[in-house]
Amino acid sequence: MKVSTEKPKKGFSRRKFLARSGATILGSVALLYFGRSRVRGALSNLAAGMKFDSGVTDFDPTVWFEVNADNTITLKSPKVEMGQGIFTGFAILAAEELDVDFAGIKVVHASTLSGPQSTASTGMSNSTASLYTGIREVAATLRETLKLAASKLWGVPITTLQTADGVITSGSHRATYAEIAQQTKKWKLAQTPALRPASTFKLIGKEHKRVDAEEKVLGKAVYGIDTDIPGMLYGSVLYCPYFGGEVKTADTSRASDSPGVLKIVQDKQWIGVVARTRYAAEQAVSKIEVSWAFEPNYSTRDAIEAITVGNGVAVVMQDEGDATVDSKSERMIGEYRTPLGYHASMEPSVMIADVSGETVTLYASTQNSAFMRETIAAETDFKEENIEIIPRFIGGGFGRRGYKHNGIEAVKLSKAAGKPVHLLYTRQQEFQNGHVRPNTHHIIHGQLDTNGKVSVLQHEFATGSMAFLAVPIAKTIIGADFPAAGHGARIPYTIPNKTTKIWGGDLPFQTGLWRGVGMFANTFAMESFMDEMAERAGVDPLKFRIEHCGNTELLQRRKKLLLKLGEEGGWNTPKTDSLGRGIAVCEDRGTISAALVEVQIIDKKIKVTRVVQAIDAGIIVNPNGVRQQVEGATIMAISAAIYEEATIENSQFVQTNFVDYQVATLRDTPQIEVIIQGSLELPSGVGEPPISPVAPAIANAIYNLSGIRLRSLPLQAALEAHYRDSEK
Amino acid sequence: MKIALKINTEASTFEADPDMPLLWLIRDEAKLKGTKFGCGKGICGACSVHIDGELVRSCLYPAHMAHEKAVTTIEGLSKGQDRLHFVQQAWLEVQVPQCGYCQPGFMMAAADFLKRHKNPTEEDIQNSISNICRCGTYPRIIKAILLAAQTKNHESID
Ligand code: FES
Ligand code: FES
Repeated sequence: MKVSTEKPKKGFSRRKFLARSGATILGSVALLYFGRSRVRGALSNLAAGMKFDSGVTDFDPTVWFEVNADNTITLKSPKVEMGQGIFTGFAILAAEELDVDFAGIKVVHASTLSGPQSTASTGMSNSTASLYTGIREVAATLRETLKLAASKLWGVPITTLQTADGVITSGSHRATYAEIAQQTKKWKLAQTPALRPASTFKLIGKEHKRVDAEEKVLGKAVYGIDTDIPGMLYGSVLYCPYFGGEVKTADTSRASDSPGVLKIVQDKQWIGVVARTRYAAEQAVSKIEVSWAFEPNYSTRDAIEAITVGNGVAVVMQDEGDATVDSKSERMIGEYRTPLGYHASMEPSVMIADVSGETVTLYASTQNSAFMRETIAAETDFKEENIEIIPRFIGGGFGRRGYKHNGIEAVKLSKAAGKPVHLLYTRQQEFQNGHVRPNTHHIIHGQLDTNGKVSVLQHEFATGSMAFLAVPIAKTIIGADFPAAGHGARIPYTIPNKTTKIWGGDLPFQTGLWRGVGMFANTFAMESFMDEMAERAGVDPLKFRIEHCGNTELLQRRKKLLLKLGEEGGWNTPKTDSLGRGIAVCEDRGTISAALVEVQIIDKKIKVTRVVQAIDAGIIVNPNGVRQQVEGATIMAISAAIYEEATIENSQFVQTNFVDYQVATLRDTPQIEVIIQGSLELPSGVGEPPISPVAPAIANAIYNLSGIRLRSLPLQAALEAHYRDSEK
Repeated sequence: MKIALKINTEASTFEADPDMPLLWLIRDEAKLKGTKFGCGKGICGACSVHIDGELVRSCLYPAHMAHEKAVTTIEGLSKGQDRLHFVQQAWLEVQVPQCGYCQPGFMMAAADFLKRHKNPTEEDIQNSISNICRCGTYPRIIKAILLAAQTKNHESID
């Protein structure tokens, strides 16, 4: 699935393109349905490694851009800015072809009624990767379209026109883009021209400040939660904290009498209040007396049992050579687990619905406007064409905002109140009623040959759903969630006999995508086991990995990156006995990401003191943006690796706020160095890949320091369990 | 009750429930949206403001206690329109924000911290500010505070 040359997306053959992608989807579903497990296996490989389409089909410049009177250009982004720096990346890409000052491009979110649409969510680290060519093409087409208009106005051949700094010239003629736009009544769209070659790039690859930095520093950036429209009221909803629970009995009389209350709406699974202020709404909710009907007694232990290799539906993702374990050499077994985890974005899910007659306007913190709109149409009486979703800056996505959240409730409350309603999850609701990262279980078998090389490796992996919530039918047809959960499960190294099988178990609560998707858990297991095998073979862990990088292009890139990381990160430099050093690497949809970590254990507490991350993500659009993503992923990975775990008692999540769900703070910040390996490959993602190698690198460093092998996350809890066991 | 207070440079009076968290008065009544909600329990620091010069987490601060006090929010951190506060300046220089949601709270905490620490070490920063940033901007926050401390010492601005 690797695309290494740029195929121009010809003109604006929207319909043709749509028809084509529709056929592919239908085709693969039919295959899956009728196919045998081999076909499923083949498709799983395809899906797990595939580069996702942007979901954008409209590359008409008049849909994407507005040329403003002050000669700035507005770019309507079909992808949402949630911190990943996509507005900056898009501005750089557009400016490169438009011949305008980078600062003169104002990036805004497209709504579902205006601007280019994306049927795919913002995520999978695919925004830059999938639109790298498309945005430059649509910008180049705008430039040529403006030139075409100018050549008509001036009656000169288009070949005589030059563009620079937002100005078109030809001989004595001179006009800004804005002037041309104002004088043009009827537009004729130009053909999409050839793109500028990388060797002439003026902006791509240079250091750029973020276009949204200043408004964010001033506190002026507008997030979903900041939406404030005239006449707006505030909602507060009482949700059932128990999995799948419904209202059994409810007494809302005290709530109705509470000051400021205007409406109470009771649904099957929730009771909502609309009031003049948020405080009044929350006070009223606290006065509702309710009893819930739910299936009691589900606990963490049940979730662990459900997610265990051998339970549920299995898909074979990889089967090469003969992996039946040969009895001559000793077999090694590693068993690993990762826990349930929250996204814990700082801005809780928030929706502001404005229902008026037949129409709905929804201001939303969402990574997936198209899905949001479909869901509202499906679950309320409103027609899809009458629903507009207006995305705002998101206060942290990480996969959390791909679902419907409180959108339906907001719409129902606004409809009942006849006014716009602002609805925000409390932190407790964000944790207890959100989507969590499913737990995982891994069993890996391996054997070494007489030369200390891995001859057999088998990975079996179990988890819940990640991507299937948006398309439930897919689960019925496919079984285990290979596109998302199976991501990273396959064994990448050159090993003659290898198999990967993934198991899909059922969990009774909402699970979903989390930064790094399946790669996070799978890399923890696989790269920990690689260290265990290196130890058994008596080979240095870095060297051992390199020895298993064969001749494929991706493995050669992996090898090169590992060597660079070892060299520049000081893998072989002397260190004290109080310091442990570990390494790990992953390949995530074309990006190679490797981490070298140094840890200490101080008073039985794990402390990461230094992380060197190396990343090879093809052409880099903005190195500053890449470094930000790598640093951020490193901190989030340290947090998830060492501390984070959601647990369940009596069918509800125990952790309700940051008091009992510990995340990394300033104190956990190590020294971080980022090595960017440049390449001429098309860009691949940077937001997720660097999160995955950190946890195994920490576990490997702990082993290097103490001889203690921790095989489950979070590592601090695993270390404490180890100390307890060894005291017995 | 009537709550009279000064927010940034403006003196205003609001009719509000005395026990309502000051955060909602600032955001929903005074319409200053830079101060954020993250946890509602005084843990994350997203709602940090200064009240009579003291750093306060406004999600746990009852509105009536702000009566006749002066509140500074991120919008009022820089005194002049044309100049950023030196903390904001450092933040921009170091390019700290990602999603940016936690950043107003961090800058309010940093501005307060620098009043008490002229030459802070990295450790001082790590041990004094407990706000949460889920995007993981911590390395740059530390850098920006160290930079801001230098600027402040050189230019003696406030
Ligand atoms: S919202 Fe006030 S401390 Fe988190
Ligand atoms: S920048 Fe996103 S939470 Fe801090």
